[in-house]
Amino acid sequence: MQYFKDLTEIQQMILVILGVLVFATTLFWIWKKIKPGPQVDELITRTKSWWVMAGIFTTAAVVHPAISFIAFGLLSFAALREISSISKNARFEDRSIIFWAYLAIPLQYGFAYMGWFVPFMILIPVGMFMLIPFLLVLKGHTQDIARSMSVIPTHLMLTVFSISHLAYLLSLPELPHFNAGGRGLLLFVVFLTEMNDVFQFTWGKLLGRHKIIEKISPNKTWEGFIGGLLSTIAAAYFLRFLTPFSEIQALGSGLLIASMGFVGDIIVSAIKRDFGLKDTGTAIKGHGGILDRIDSLAISAPFFFYYVYLICYL
Amino acid sequence: MKLLFLIVIYKVVMPVLLRLVGVRIRHKAAYQEQKQFIVVANHNSHVDTMALLASLPIRLLIKTHPVATANYFGKKKWLAFVSNLFVNTVLIRQKDNALQLLEQKLKKGHSLILFPEGTRGKPGEMQAFRSGIGVLLSAFPHIPFIPVWIEGTGKILPKGSFLPVPFEAEVKIGAATLAKGETVEEIVGEVQSAILALRGGE
Repeated sequence: MQYFKDLTEIQQMILVILGVLVFATTLFWIWKKIKPGPQVDELITRTKSWWVMAGIFTTAAVVHPAISFIAFGLLSFAALREISSISKNARFEDRSIIFWAYLAIPLQYGFAYMGWFVPFMILIPVGMFMLIPFLLVLKGHTQDIARSMSVIPTHLMLTVFSISHLAYLLSLPELPHFNAGGRGLLLFVVFLTEMNDVFQFTWGKLLGRHKIIEKISPNKTWEGFIGGLLSTIAAAYFLRFLTPFSEIQALGSGLLIASMGFVGDIIVSAIKRDFGLKDTGTAIKGHGGILDRIDSLAISAPFFFYYVYLICYL
Repeated sequence: MKLLFLIVIYKVVMPVLLRLVGVRIRHKAAYQEQKQFIVVANHNSHVDTMALLASLPIRLLIKTHPVATANYFGKKKWLAFVSNLFVNTVLIRQKDNALQLLEQKLKKGHSLILFPEGTRGKPGEMQAFRSGIGVLLSAFPHIPFIPVWIEGTGKILPKGSFLPVPFEAEVKIGAATLAKGETVEEIVGEVQSAILALRGGE
């Protein structure tokens, strides 16, 4: 125990993540030995992709910051590519405009890396929301143009604006008496958002009776949502050593991450339903597409970022 | 020298580019234990040729030629030179003896990549097949064809565009098959349905 306390906050957190993964892997392995079936097979594939994602996120969080920015930029890129490919709302003629949308990625992550806060905040919600409709007008195909005008910038919000806030955590100035820094905050929000998904899934399987929004996501239940919410708040309380929060603020961040994670999840579910898909792609094994994995993060990341910003930097 | 070019382009640069643009190539194992074959695929984009060359194992790279029309690639000397050097093409003119060049390559033990639609059509649409593939397969009954279904590349780089835009696309390689049909028409139909069969399947 003494040894654990001597480690830095980041090292402690990596041990926690490793512990959770080893626990999940052993649990499902034993489960498969005792009672094999398709359900446990799915859980095993899911755990395998968690290993991969945990590896990517922790490496990105501990290596040179520039590498993290590139890694998050690539994640945004792959997510934007995925949603543009499955979307039936953008028209074929919009391909050259979508090319311009991709150019927002290096700019946005460049601003994040340099720590230019105002350009970072307004590039997509102000700049791209004006530029893309303007370019569409210059192209001149008016049939369904209003749909493209709203859909392409919204894709950017969901995949680039959102995830870039994870990267900006690494550029926040240092605070006195707070050692974990942006890396600690990054591990905190990503781990809690992912765990919230797991908690909701588990509580829903154990106790789930009452559906929340059957039309969008038939597996979501009140029991799962509330169980996940309480578990995530508890986890936030115990992991607050990664943040500059007081105890109350840590509990609040857990509440925020869990509820916003849920919102992100059902927004992407609704989009998929509109496109007539179950999963958004096949890039990560057993997890559907990339968008399926970052759905909760897409909303929880910016909300958590501004929560930190309002509490500690204003 | 040319082999070195081809290896650098299709085994080093192109896999990274294709990955970035969003082209997934599936079932490359279909080439295992094959020495000579004719790859037949639907055609929507120049990306198709790049992806098919990148899917080949190194040992087959130098001996596999995409078939291109001289009406397009033979127009300028430099274009013909570049496509021969970088894409390893055979250029054919649409005349009676067009297939002679291809037969020569096959006799030498080389393989071909053929787009029987003859041109990149509109994205997502497959046009009627020309009969050349049937003539070749009936003249060389011991050479199998490898059907390939390509989807989504027409959005990445459609005909008439020079700006590649990333979109997810898929190249599904089927199993090598010996044509069973007796007549040219039967073989063409066989090839066409083999490609379409890949469309929905895994």
